[in-house]
Amino acid sequence: MARYVLRRTVGWLAMIVVATNATFFLASWFLDPRSNYRQLRPVRTEEEISQALRPYGLDPRQSVVHRWWHWLTDVGLHFDWGHSPRGASVNSEVAYRIVISGQLIFAGVVLSVLLGVALGVYTASRQYGIADRLSQTLSVVLYNVPTAVGALGLVLLAVWLNQRAGGTFLHVAGASTPGVDGTVDRLLDRLDHLILPTVNLTLLGYAGWHFTQRALLLDTINADYVRTARATGLTRAQAIRRHALRSSLIPTATSVAFTIPAVFTGAIITETVFGWEGMGRYFTKTISENDVHGAVAVAAFGAVTTAVGAILADIATVLLDPRVRVD
Amino acid sequence: MASVLSPIPIDATPPPPLRLGRARLYLRRFARNRGALAGLVIFVALVLFAALGGLLTRWGWSESDFLALTQPPTPAHPFGTNQGGNDVLAECVHGLQRSLIIALSVSALTTVIAALVGAGAAYIGGRTERMALAVIHFLLVVPSFLILALISNKVGGDWRVLIVVLTVFGWMLTARIVWSVSTSLRERDYVLMAEFMGVSRWRIVLRHVVPHLSSLLIVTLTLGVDSTVLNETALSFLGFGVKTPDVSLGSLLADGSSTISSAPWLFAYPAGLLVLLTVSVMLIGDGLRDALDPTSTAGGRG
Repeated sequence: MARYVLRRTVGWLAMIVVATNATFFLASWFLDPRSNYRQLRPVRTEEEISQALRPYGLDPRQSVVHRWWHWLTDVGLHFDWGHSPRGASVNSEVAYRIVISGQLIFAGVVLSVLLGVALGVYTASRQYGIADRLSQTLSVVLYNVPTAVGALGLVLLAVWLNQRAGGTFLHVAGASTPGVDGTVDRLLDRLDHLILPTVNLTLLGYAGWHFTQRALLLDTINADYVRTARATGLTRAQAIRRHALRSSLIPTATSVAFTIPAVFTGAIITETVFGWEGMGRYFTKTISENDVHGAVAVAAFGAVTTAVGAILADIATVLLDPRVRVD
Repeated sequence: MASVLSPIPIDATPPPPLRLGRARLYLRRFARNRGALAGLVIFVALVLFAALGGLLTRWGWSESDFLALTQPPTPAHPFGTNQGGNDVLAECVHGLQRSLIIALSVSALTTVIAALVGAGAAYIGGRTERMALAVIHFLLVVPSFLILALISNKVGGDWRVLIVVLTVFGWMLTARIVWSVSTSLRERDYVLMAEFMGVSRWRIVLRHVVPHLSSLLIVTLTLGVDSTVLNETALSFLGFGVKTPDVSLGSLLADGSSTISSAPWLFAYPAGLLVLLTVSVMLIGDGLRDALDPTSTAGGRG
């Protein structure tokens, strides 16, 4: 098992390296750090701008391969992900943002998979019942709500609820309230801020899992081996849970990894609406501020989350599928 | 067989046809699906609204009514006006046109590319197949939304460029699915037969492999409209897609988001149109999937 996981990890590491380096070239091509200096007053000459950018390895007068090598050696030898055009260190920006976005994406993925699979199982065993039809309709609508619409709708709802209740119970901006002291208070405050963005990602993300899990379980629920299991004396619920569900969970587990990029995109918009200073906001900021190194760091973060999801999905497949032998 | 064995009625009205034509069967199955019909009605209504909605207001989408800034809906401005005095109805009609044109063309282009690459790779095989798969997998791992934002931010807010960019980074997943379905087609008798008869490779792909994927492709075409609308909305909302002076439903959402509690109509109308558009397209796609499914029993006999 450990060896199998290790082998997969190495494969994904190679993928991350390739993706990150490719993004470096694309970002260097499409972002021009000089424009950040051109707006400054007093006006600087092109020579001065180049001088200012050179220490960070961002001077466009040097060849792109030269800049790439500068960046790669910094990352490889010192784990220094470079600087923004104005000299802010990418490492210090990213360090706290990763935690913020990581918890949002993790909570969003886990909760939507749990909710979607549970609903899928519940409705598949009651196909064409009222609960099935109602939840199907709801899921079709939620599946199609753009993230921005969902997030802004939640903000409206929360503002209304807060007004009705007369106080701020649901926070609509930021990841934490400044000036809250005490470990417990700070933890509670963070959790409170986490509610709405997580609800948004979960509600807009679960529907896909609902559809796939329902369809997969309907495929296996009438299989011969499930009938055989019932013949041995199991109740219908037991037969579904122990036999039909297990085999229908395998495709679900394998596809978790490939939805993480979409969740990341959702997180970008959710963070923008709820004013979270996470990787999503950083993504928008780096692109509009021509921050090549920052954009590459965001790409690396996205690739790493995908890889972590894929490796977890592999482990789940091995545990669920008796046909997969890794030793 | 049944009609041969059954007694022939005396007042000989011609017996109903045993099998419906394929097109009629699909149509009948689709028409029996109430959700799909509702989706079709909503979609047609939205297309009509995009085409003719401009007649409902006498203001153009880029005109400003300086006597009515940030006004809630009134008879003169049925959807209200924004901070600059633009008529929201006219803006919504224009934005819907943009979203529809972008979504329909991107979806059509990506489906064609995905069909050719996926089916071509599966049929030709060998080194071509491995290279095509490597490209597909690589593009699936690279954070495509980031690259989309990078490129469309650089090239400006032109919607025609947005179509190209969304197409270039939108075909991989469908191509992967088409490839995995086509690998089983390459050994079929009729494909081998065509080979023996000396039909050229690309002709086999186009005339014998792709038609067998048509139901899959029609469904991905409709669902592609959905995902393109969502992608375009996300890009424009963040300010990387369609930009001022042009408007799309996504950029209208972004404009409305800052005044969501003081001027909710700026947000509500584009949001409502977007949800109607995506839900109707998904219902149509679901109906098509059921209607084109060869194992479907919907639609009665035949």
